[in-house]
Amino acid sequence: MSFRKIDIDAYDEDVLLESELYEPDPRDPAQALSDAKQKQVVVRSALAKGDIPGALDIALDSAPYGPNVEEAKNLTLQTVVLILNSTKSSEISNVVKALSQDAQDTLMKYIYKGMGMPGWGDVSGSVLLGWHEKLTEIAGTGCIVRVMTDRRTV
Amino acid sequence: MSTPEVYSIAKIPVTCHAFNADRSQVAVSLNDNNVQIYTKQGKEWIVTETLSEHDKVITSIDWAPNSNRIVTASQDRNAYVWSLSPDPLTGKLVWKPTLVLLRINRAATFVRWSPNEDKFAVASGARAIAICSFDPENNWWVARQLKKPIRSTVLSVDWHPNNVLLAAGSADMKARVFSAYIKDVDKRPSPTIWGEKLPFNTICGEYTSPAGGWVHAVGFSPSGDTLAFASHDSSISIVYPGGPFIYNIRISSLPYVTLSWTSEDALVAAGHDCQPVVFSGSEQGWALVGTLDDSTASSASKGSGAKAGAVGRLNSAAFNSFRNADQRGQSGGGDAAADTELLTVHQNTITSVRPYAYSGEGVVSRVSTTGVDGKLVIWDVNAVTALAGKMGGLRV
Repeated sequence: MSFRKIDIDAYDEDVLLESELYEPDPRDPAQALSDAKQKQVVVRSALAKGDIPGALDIALDSAPYGPNVEEAKNLTLQTVVLILNSTKSSEISNVVKALSQDAQDTLMKYIYKGMGMPGWGDVSGSVLLGWHEKLTEIAGTGCIVRVMTDRRTV
Repeated sequence: MSTPEVYSIAKIPVTCHAFNADRSQVAVSLNDNNVQIYTKQGKEWIVTETLSEHDKVITSIDWAPNSNRIVTASQDRNAYVWSLSPDPLTGKLVWKPTLVLLRINRAATFVRWSPNEDKFAVASGARAIAICSFDPENNWWVARQLKKPIRSTVLSVDWHPNNVLLAAGSADMKARVFSAYIKDVDKRPSPTIWGEKLPFNTICGEYTSPAGGWVHAVGFSPSGDTLAFASHDSSISIVYPGGPFIYNIRISSLPYVTLSWTSEDALVAAGHDCQPVVFSGSEQGWALVGTLDDSTASSASKGSGAKAGAVGRLNSAAFNSFRNADQRGQSGGGDAAADTELLTVHQNTITSVRPYAYSGEGVVSRVSTTGVDGKLVIWDVNAVTALAGKMGGLRV
């Protein structure tokens, strides 16, 4: 009969679930959203003072990831894009060099996320490509591999 | 001898290799179902024998140095143990295969003899590791499986020097240490830093790296007190179970797929970067030391046009040749052959690195590597050059 159309993996008791492959985000959706909103406020004031490295550090620290926190993720992306757009291209190198390795990996994740949503909000392809080039020069292709491998998608 | 010995033994990828005890012969799988045994004659490696018994690609070979037996594992879900015995007709020594029933329903991916050569471990895609020991009563190899809590294909295994503990790296992003104690084969092991009183299939530790990624390679240090694993997130992790302290070193190049300890505080890793790289450290911390591939020495012979950067960089020779074609209408570039060659000795991913020569108890002085480019290279572990200078200088 319709044996070819049944989803055999749905009947597999021992199937490996996506959630088993990484530690889930410890915050619940509401908490993550309020964290993201608070970050946006702090980042805006840092940008007003012209402190780009500080703003980036705050935005990239404990980024929300995982399946339930869509709003928080979008809000954080918006915040990061705001910072990326406000940086002069001559300063990008210095800003990236001042980031920690964790922050560099998270920044690369946001760059790729932005590249996947062209035209969303303030996302500008040329700005993202400029940041991508500088970040790859400093953090190397290993940073890109980590974005592709890490299951904690921002 | 500081410069690496390079042998181009095949034009097709070498899946895995294993040397015999005196390094006069090497058993190699050229991505098919036969084992090719090469013998060193003068400065060349010549094929002297082909062992055919497997039905599918052989994924891993190991050659026991003391008992002179070869074990091969293949995608056909079997493993064979080969031993030298006189052929009844001709009297010559030939390799005779003995089938080992692993009872796995997926391909075997990796195999290693235990330090005492009385057991071997076969990693498989059936989410299990088959530990095989010889049963003298029935004259055959018996397999017991380590199953829980492995959730996906096991990609590599490594034995602890006490012949009981086994480290396994798996595609479920975890590196684990199991006890593979077989009652009639092993004597009760003395307690180690990993635990004591360890029945078969006990988990002594389960580790993962922060960004996850398949664990391609695992290795115990020569004393067995430290575990290292390389995972697909371009990082190497060193685990000291006493703390537990885990040092995770993130690297700026492509992931490593194989590693080998060279002493208690140093190891060599290699992979998609096409060059073996040395890491060194202690309980206080670990760091990348440098590469064994001194590309500046060999680049002198490659002509002036070769500006090939490290693998994956945007400023590579391929990028330049397309740019030349676009902007200046030149196709092929000035020196077409040299433009597509990498500056490293290996021209493609290194798939296997193994200890070749020892300079002391547990201290390796030379390692051998084989890769997808069909080359077998023997490196001097102490000829380390710093990586940072090279990356900086290669920018256009």
